[in-house]
Amino acid sequence: MSRAITFLTRTRGSFDRAERFGISDFLAYAYLIFGVLIILVPVLWTVMSSIKPQRALDNFDTRVLPYAQVQQEVPGRGLRDVFIHTAPDGTETEVVRAGPARAVSDVAPLDDPAAVFQAPREELRPAEDMRVAVENYLDPILQRNGQENFAFWRYLWNSVFVTVAATVITLVINAMAAFALAKYQFRGRLTFTLLIVATLLIPSSIILVSLFFVVWTFGMFGSLWGVIIPAAATPTGVFLLRQYMLTIPDELLEAARMDAASEWRIFWRIVMPLSLPALSVLAILSVIWRWNDFLWPLIVLISDPRQHTLQIGLTQFSGEFDTNLHYVLAMTVVSLIPITLVFVWLQRFITTGIATTGLK
Amino acid sequence: MTETAPALELRQIRKSFGAVDVIHGVDLSIREGEFVVFVGPSGCGKSTLLRLIAGLDDPTSGDIVIKGKRVNAIPAAERGLSMVFQSYALYPHMSVRQNLSFGLENLRMERAEIDRRVDAAAKLLQIDHLMARRPGQLSGGQRQRVAIGRAIVREPVVFLFDEPLSNLDAELRLQMRVEISQLHDQLGNTMIYVTHDQVEAMTMADRIVVLRGGRIEQVGAPLDLYNHPANRFVAGFIGAPQMNFLKGALDGRTLRLDSGMVRDVPVAQAGSLPVTLGVRPEAIGVSLDGHGDVQVVVKNFEQLGSVTYIYTAFPNGETLTVQLPRQIPLTRGQTIGVTFDAASFHLFGGEGDRALPMNR
Amino acid sequence: MTPAAMLMAAIGLLWVGGGTIWLLSRRSYRLWQVPQFLMDLVGFPVELAQAWFGRGGVPYALLLPNMAIFGLFTFAPMILNFYVSGTAGASISLFDRPWVGWDNYARIFNCESIFRPSTCGNEGFGYWTAMGNTLWFVAFQVPIMCVAALATALVLNMSIKGRGFWRAMFFYPVMLSPVVIANIWEWILHRRGMLNEVIGGTQGAVADLAGLNGFDLVVTVILAIVLVVVMERAIRARGDDEPSLAWTGVFAGLFAALTAWANPGSLIGLPSSLWIGVLVGAALFWLVMSGHRLARPALVAAGALAAVQLLAIQFDGVFAFDNYRPINWLVTPNTGWPFAWLVFVFCWSHMGFYMLIILAGLQAIPRDLYEAAKMDATRPVRAFWRITLPLVMPTMTVVIVLCLIRSFQVFDEVYLLTGGGPGRETFMVVQNIYESAFATNTPAYGEAAAGSVLMAVVIAVFTFFQLWITRRQSGL
Repeated sequence: MSRAITFLTRTRGSFDRAERFGISDFLAYAYLIFGVLIILVPVLWTVMSSIKPQRALDNFDTRVLPYAQVQQEVPGRGLRDVFIHTAPDGTETEVVRAGPARAVSDVAPLDDPAAVFQAPREELRPAEDMRVAVENYLDPILQRNGQENFAFWRYLWNSVFVTVAATVITLVINAMAAFALAKYQFRGRLTFTLLIVATLLIPSSIILVSLFFVVWTFGMFGSLWGVIIPAAATPTGVFLLRQYMLTIPDELLEAARMDAASEWRIFWRIVMPLSLPALSVLAILSVIWRWNDFLWPLIVLISDPRQHTLQIGLTQFSGEFDTNLHYVLAMTVVSLIPITLVFVWLQRFITTGIATTGLK
Repeated sequence: MTETAPALELRQIRKSFGAVDVIHGVDLSIREGEFVVFVGPSGCGKSTLLRLIAGLDDPTSGDIVIKGKRVNAIPAAERGLSMVFQSYALYPHMSVRQNLSFGLENLRMERAEIDRRVDAAAKLLQIDHLMARRPGQLSGGQRQRVAIGRAIVREPVVFLFDEPLSNLDAELRLQMRVEISQLHDQLGNTMIYVTHDQVEAMTMADRIVVLRGGRIEQVGAPLDLYNHPANRFVAGFIGAPQMNFLKGALDGRTLRLDSGMVRDVPVAQAGSLPVTLGVRPEAIGVSLDGHGDVQVVVKNFEQLGSVTYIYTAFPNGETLTVQLPRQIPLTRGQTIGVTFDAASFHLFGGEGDRALPMNR
Repeated sequence: MTPAAMLMAAIGLLWVGGGTIWLLSRRSYRLWQVPQFLMDLVGFPVELAQAWFGRGGVPYALLLPNMAIFGLFTFAPMILNFYVSGTAGASISLFDRPWVGWDNYARIFNCESIFRPSTCGNEGFGYWTAMGNTLWFVAFQVPIMCVAALATALVLNMSIKGRGFWRAMFFYPVMLSPVVIANIWEWILHRRGMLNEVIGGTQGAVADLAGLNGFDLVVTVILAIVLVVVMERAIRARGDDEPSLAWTGVFAGLFAALTAWANPGSLIGLPSSLWIGVLVGAALFWLVMSGHRLARPALVAAGALAAVQLLAIQFDGVFAFDNYRPINWLVTPNTGWPFAWLVFVFCWSHMGFYMLIILAGLQAIPRDLYEAAKMDATRPVRAFWRITLPLVMPTMTVVIVLCLIRSFQVFDEVYLLTGGGPGRETFMVVQNIYESAFATNTPAYGEAAAGSVLMAVVIAVFTFFQLWITRRQSGL
């Protein structure tokens, strides 16, 4: 028997030296599960909350599923909450309050609104149904029900535009710089490399104020280009691509030169396609950076609501966290979805890519 | 001679990784003070076998017995073994002295004793002037010595070497081969040495264990294996250039080769079966005027001065390599006669191409 | 339109127009080669450089756009910062700003002591409060983050099933935007959010359970059994020589909890004994870890002590909680909670990134070093201190420096979660810069720039100090 247990729980090794699923394995998995719960539960909780009706959120209903009290139009009384009244003999009737809520309040049955009777609070419980509150999503997206100020499509378009344009520019100019540093011998190569290292060490928030002056001088203030251009040259990208391009054999370039291709064509037709793996890692990084960017867009774009990105648009709500909770949560989920999808799709690629390229 | 317990005994050792069987029931007994070499093509299980002995992996079944004590359940460090790794596995952040003393410190040995052993080992290996350096500052051969030194200081019952010379260049390999052999003479310990190079095996071993596909093919002294290979695989593996193999059939005592030659052979048990004739290249005579047992065409040849290798082919396409201990004039395409001495024949046939017993 | 904008437009026009003419005059394109023509147009300056200066000119042309952006948007602002910090006024036009020299700095330093911001003028008060908060934040954040990341990486570097899955899960928060993270946690930490609900619910359930008859006896028996099993495992596990470290860890945790509940410190008038238990537990752990020969006797003694404490505890008293009063985690002043949660949320959102880097560093350590260590009879803990840690130290240095720089610049999460409040408890330097320059009607660009320069100095000092320490330690 004990032999069988040993056999079943062993993780490696021979029969008599079989190491069971030991305490250290147990602690390791416990740690991992605990960690993943801490990471996942808040996110899932937010997603589940975002489909709850506003009333459930306002009452801080902490159940997982989206329950909400049923409301019904009662002739002469208007829209009222429906309760279920359990009489002492066990019969249940659907009722609405006919007067103010007290310890013992007047209630009227739904099917006979005139027959008002008194019911103590203990005998009433809310009649609930489960309903996915799509309006949390649809109101801001379709700009209705008082959400006209939240220009969802414009924010989305701005975010997508910034992300795509910045990523394309980043890829092209970083690849150009990386190609120069990787494949040419020229005077000043070391200087340029050191300059790029130096930019790696300059924290972006130190130059906020004067960068603002520069961007204003170039007339990019309040425009999406003011967000796209300053961050387009990334030292990380240059190093990542340079490291990869060093592995491309020089003979390939020589062969192309023998075919009388211009240097630009060599770059475009040979080096770029061969660097595709490194380029896609940089592309993913750039998409994450730009999509999530907050402080700099806040400075440059805040003055013109038409230029807000999704992240900035979302902060509009933050002053009204209590009143518009359902919209805040729904839009949070909307902004979370694309990045989550990208991640689920490409997670292995992203994690190994970042692990091998290191810096951010 | 008195019979003592063998230094190491393997009894029916099996090892499988998942569904793949790597070692299929190996039995082996190694005497005290013996230098045993495990040799075989890559993937034959020789390194796995060494790791099982070391305790780095656990056998699926079977017993490992060291000095009469079953050690399956004893952790690697307490088996009284030490191992020299293929990559040396020196701790890169420690000095040579720290590398040598690290294992002894783990055993809570007295400082004075540690120093005594480390100094003795350093002196023996002539690395005493390198003690303050780190592995990164050493040459390949020096690192090799440090790795051996680390094995020596623990004064093990058995030394294990896992292809220790494979990372060295040819000249250094030759030198270290001699030094390890001398070390064995000085220390007199049991040593087990794994290599894929049959020259190393032939030059260093007291006994060679030839492995293939997780099975022992033959165990014996180097010249035993050379002169009396147990089967066609061992015959082909031991000796360079490789033994010639010619297909044919045995009919009574008459050997008919596919290439046309017919000879009576001194086979002990006459029979009738398809066989392969094995002839060492140096056991073949050459006559330039075309006389001889059979005529072959010279395809290629290598004149090394002291030795000449002639690569020839029979009319049916079978090839024959001849080794002559002198210089002779040759041209490609020339037809020469070759002579065989039936006393040097090896015949392989039957299941597993076993050697047929001969009357010599 | 500013002159700079006009210059940009002119360059763009020259590029497209001139490039088209230049290219069409030299090469002929067929209609289906339009994409190729467009690409050539993009690279027109490179083509031009090759035509004029030969191949030697090409790398400079290739580097031009990247270096122009670095120069204009990183290096120029870096230098401009010093100039702006010497000017005053709210004008955006650089020529409109009067030069005031060190005035902005003087106003920030207008304090009796910069360590007591309340003695400063307005500007100094804001800045030094923020700097103090930021330094505290860094002091907590960096060690916690690095230890957590290292621990997670070590666990993931064990022979774990589904490593890719776990690694991805821990990395996931790094992908989320600060706004999303802030909203999620604001919702969790709300006064009536999930956290309070869970704590309240658990406490209520436990208190209800503690009210049952025989609760004390049952818990005592269960814990006694657990204690015996854990002790037996801890002492016996490694066979003849050493107690098991992992089980000792479990025992230490149990011991700390028992000590906290039994509260022996109350005999000499201490309010809480938790720290005594933690200290004893840590000491035990250290004894076993270092393989001390007293480890086993100490473990047995602690076990006896734990048994005595267990008998002394009235569990129904310990778990008789009052009704839980929800805490407003992010808003209640003078509790330290807002600050602690900011540290936690920052860790939550960035830990995965550092974990990945450390994991890569760990996996770069050759496996056979550990096999050699195994042959050398190295205990796992010693292998960690003597082999793993020294070899992963270069990676750790990178992680520490990155983490340091990042924590110094903390803004997004703080601004969105607490807005620097309650009061100014979580007011950070970058928020100070942001608010004095961009979030007021009378922007004080000069002061903000001066603040940036001071922050740059602090970051540089810290970074170099850190590099200097690790360099000395590793003795390279």
